Amino acid sequence: MERLITGIKNLDYILGGGIPAYSLNIISGSPGSGKTIFVQNIIFNNARNGLKSLYLTTISESQLKMVRHLQDFEFFSDDLLGDRVIYGDLGAVLRRQGASEGLDYLTRMIKEHLPNIVVIDSVKVIRDLFPDEKTFRAFVFELAAVLSIWEITAFLVGEYEEQELTRLSEFAIADGIFHLYGQEEKRFQKRYMRVLKMRGTSFQHGEHLFQIGPVGIEVYPRMRPEGEELRYDVKLGRKEFGICGLDEMLCGGLLEGTITLISGATGTGKTMFALKFLLEGAEKGEKGVFLSFEEPVDQLQNTARCLGWEIDKYLAEGQLEIKFISPVELDVDKHAFEILDMIGEKKVERFVIDSISSFESSVTDIQKYRDYLWAIGQQLRRRHVTTIFTVLNEDLFSPLVVSRAQLSLITDNIIILRYVEDNSSIRKVLGILKTRGSNHDNSLREYEISPEGINVLGRLAKADMLK
Amino acid sequence: MSEIIEKRIGRYETLLKEMWTASSKYLGTFSVNLLVERVVWEVSLEYKEIELLQYDQNGISCAKMAARLEENPDLPVEDMFMKFITRYVEILARLLGYERAEEIKKKLDEEFAGDLSASREE
Repeated sequence: MERLITGIKNLDYILGGGIPAYSLNIISGSPGSGKTIFVQNIIFNNARNGLKSLYLTTISESQLKMVRHLQDFEFFSDDLLGDRVIYGDLGAVLRRQGASEGLDYLTRMIKEHLPNIVVIDSVKVIRDLFPDEKTFRAFVFELAAVLSIWEITAFLVGEYEEQELTRLSEFAIADGIFHLYGQEEKRFQKRYMRVLKMRGTSFQHGEHLFQIGPVGIEVYPRMRPEGEELRYDVKLGRKEFGICGLDEMLCGGLLEGTITLISGATGTGKTMFALKFLLEGAEKGEKGVFLSFEEPVDQLQNTARCLGWEIDKYLAEGQLEIKFISPVELDVDKHAFEILDMIGEKKVERFVIDSISSFESSVTDIQKYRDYLWAIGQQLRRRHVTTIFTVLNEDLFSPLVVSRAQLSLITDNIIILRYVEDNSSIRKVLGILKTRGSNHDNSLREYEISPEGINVLGRLAKADMLK
Repeated sequence: MSEIIEKRIGRYETLLKEMWTASSKYLGTFSVNLLVERVVWEVSLEYKEIELLQYDQNGISCAKMAARLEENPDLPVEDMFMKFITRYVEILARLLGYERAEEIKKKLDEEFAGDLSASREE
């Protein structure tokens, strides 16, 4: 099927390659939801590829304002105006001469310019010019037929509320419906889009985050658990931590392509265990990425130097990459997608998120948080990336809690770090709760973090860790 | 109307009517009417006389065209109709997909002994 490539980042991916050609699409949303920028971005992207667009406004003077507001976007170009992007005023014709003349005007404009794309902004205003629903429906039907016969892909922009989408006649005629909306979530004002309908093609359902920035619109597809059964080649190789006692407990290291949760209270060394795992990989020529939401890069570098690790060398060589995202700025919808993009691009073999507790704090509901992690986990497994998620256990000496969000189901391996009280001193103990598809040592072992690195010591006689 | 002119035009009128029927199965008569209107406009840029074609949602007729041919026997009707048919089928193929357009073309070919193929090869 022939398609109109939108050229908007990730939108064509959501649409399975683009919008079916000659379709009639409604872009709905309340004022300020980004509808006009959305279509303008599409028509200017297509103008650069040689396609011609006819943009018909229905409100006087809106063209002037529109062009003025678009000038700051990178997709906009003065050179394309009048040649590849042609503006017209359909509203004036309809108001003065009626619906029939409106269609004649449209046909004349089509014959004059032979556009590939026609936009009517706003169709909601046109609706108000008709005496009743029946005559408006007839107009929209004729409009749709005229546009498709002239092989035009059309966008009708309208300020529709969500409850109108199932009720009004224009939505029955539409081949595609994009609904744009915004909502406040925690500290972010976020914009979402949903593709409600797209005849003739499969598309990704659900809400997709989008941003309006200097480049125009950028879409971040919804992270979703795969509908089909997860299938991937099981690798039998192991990835070592380079921490002697721990690798022994794991029967040689973590199984390649698995996901490990390191849970522990503050100060137990979760970050250091995870970082050591990447450094060990770097030494073997495996690329690692450390995504930190807690400590900036220089702080991590300092700590690693203090432990005698050659972090600077691997950072300089590009074997190791540390990316710090402030938890204040963290937007899971956006970052989850970027993480997977980065992993794919850089052919990462070892990956750490430190910590996923920061993810949790930026997501409005716990189910969405689990869905994100599940989806990320599946994608990482498919790519055979051996991954560590660290998670903060806020209670220093509590009976064992892996995480509040029942994340243990998402992970293949769980390593617990915690404090124990022994003879009026605090010691650190680690235990392996599970390793999927492999044996592991069930003992609780004391460990210490010293200038020589991480040392796993012997069994602790009485740890009461699992009480 | 002379028998010769009736024969010259009649062949194309039958072909156009078959095309109309075959494509309205997929497009509906309203859209077929619009498609004819589009193709008439496009061909009229070269052959103004194509505007003599009469059509509405009930069908298509070449009566006025035949009358004009009576006045001007040199009218290049063959070329004009072939351009019309070729363009019509081209657009139809893009709108419906080549598979369905081929079905329509095949049906017409069978009834008109390869006229349509010859027109598309031009």
